[in-house]
Amino acid sequence: MELTVLTPEKEFFSGQVTAVKVPGTTGRFEVLENHAPIVSALTNGEVEITKANGERVRFNIARGFIEVLNNKVSVLAQVAAEAEE
Amino acid sequence: MANLKEVRNRIKSVINTQQITKAMKMVSAAKLRKAQQAIVEMRPYSNKLTEMLRNILSNMEGGAETSLGQERPIEKALLVVVTSDKGLCGAFNSNIIKAGLAVMNGKFAKAYANGNLTILCVGKKGSEYFNKRYGKKANIITKHTDLFTRLTFDNSAEIVEDMIAGFEHGIYDAVEVAYGQFKNAGVQYCISEQYLPVQKMEVEEEGDSKMRADFLFEPDKETLLKQLIPTILRTQFHKYLLDTNASEHGARMTAMDKASENAGDLLKELKINYNKARQEAITRELSEIVGGSAALEGS
Repeated sequence: MELTVLTPEKEFFSGQVTAVKVPGTTGRFEVLENHAPIVSALTNGEVEITKANGERVRFNIARGFIEVLNNKVSVLAQVAAEAEE
Repeated sequence: MANLKEVRNRIKSVINTQQITKAMKMVSAAKLRKAQQAIVEMRPYSNKLTEMLRNILSNMEGGAETSLGQERPIEKALLVVVTSDKGLCGAFNSNIIKAGLAVMNGKFAKAYANGNLTILCVGKKGSEYFNKRYGKKANIITKHTDLFTRLTFDNSAEIVEDMIAGFEHGIYDAVEVAYGQFKNAGVQYCISEQYLPVQKMEVEEEGDSKMRADFLFEPDKETLLKQLIPTILRTQFHKYLLDTNASEHGARMTAMDKASENAGDLLKELKINYNKARQEAITRELSEIVGGSAALEGS
C-alpha cells in the first residue's frame, strides 16, 4: 500500500509500505494491507513503518492524524522528525 | 543652462540608485521563489486536511456544531494585520493597512467605538502605523511583530493558540485577518478575511455517493473535529503568513523593476542634457578662441 507522510513544511515520506504502526489516541495500532477506511487522531509519539523491501523506519510525530482509504495511507503531522537511536 | 559638472554628478547618483534598485529586484526575485516554494510545499498538507474534514462532515448527520463556529454579536474583536517588515514595495503595506482599517470602521466599528478592539500586528510596517495612530484608542499587541524573522509553523501556531483560547473564553467575539493574498509575482490582493468564528463548511454532495467510504472514526467524530478544526486554523493562519511573505517580495520586485525603468528613462534624458551642455561648452570655447585670434590679428 501507499503511504505519504505530510507536514506543513514538506512531504516527509512517500512510498510503498507493508505496515504502518501509529500512536492512536486510544492506543497504538497497526495498519496493514486492505485495512478498513479509518480516520483517526494521533497522539505525540513514534510511527514505525515497514517498507516494501522489509526495511524499517521510525520517526516521531506530534499533533497528527491518519487517514486510510483504499490502501492509501496519509499521515498528517505538524512536526515529524527522525527518531534518535 | 545646466552646468556640466552638475549634470555629471546627477548622472552618477542616478546610476547608483539604479544599481541598488536592480539588485533589490534580483534579491526579491530569489526570495520570492523561496516563499512560493513554501506555499507549494504546504499545499498537499492543507488539501489533505480539508479532505479529512469533508469526510468527517459528510459522515455526520446534520451540521456540525463546534465551539469555534459560534456566531456571537461582536462586542469585543481582534483584528490581525499582517504586513511586511520592510518597505520599498510600492503600495503593498498601505493597501493591507487600508484593508484592516476598513474592517475596523466597518464590521468592528462598534467594538472600536467602545474601546474593545484589539489589534495584533505581525510585521513592522503595520505595527508602526497602528501604534502611532491608534495606540491610545485600541489595545495593540506587538509581541508577535517580529514573526517574519522566525517564520516557522510552530511559531505561527503559537499565535493561533492564543486566538483560539481568546475566542473560546469570550475575550474576542470575532477575529479578522488583513493580509496580502498571493496570486502571482505581479498580482497581490490586499484583503481581509474572517478567521473566527469558523465559517460553515459546505459539504458538497459529490455526484455518486457510492464513492463515499464508510469510515471508522477514532476516537469519535466530535472529538476528532475538535482536534481537526484547530489544526486547520493553524494551517490557514500559516498560509496567511506565507502568502503575505510571498506577496511582499512580489510587490517589491514589481516596484523595483518600475524604479529601475524610471531611472533608465531619467538617465537617458540626463545624458542628452549632458551632451548638449558639452556641445555648448565646446562651441563657446571655439568661438572664444576664434574671437580671441581675430582680435589679435586685428591689432
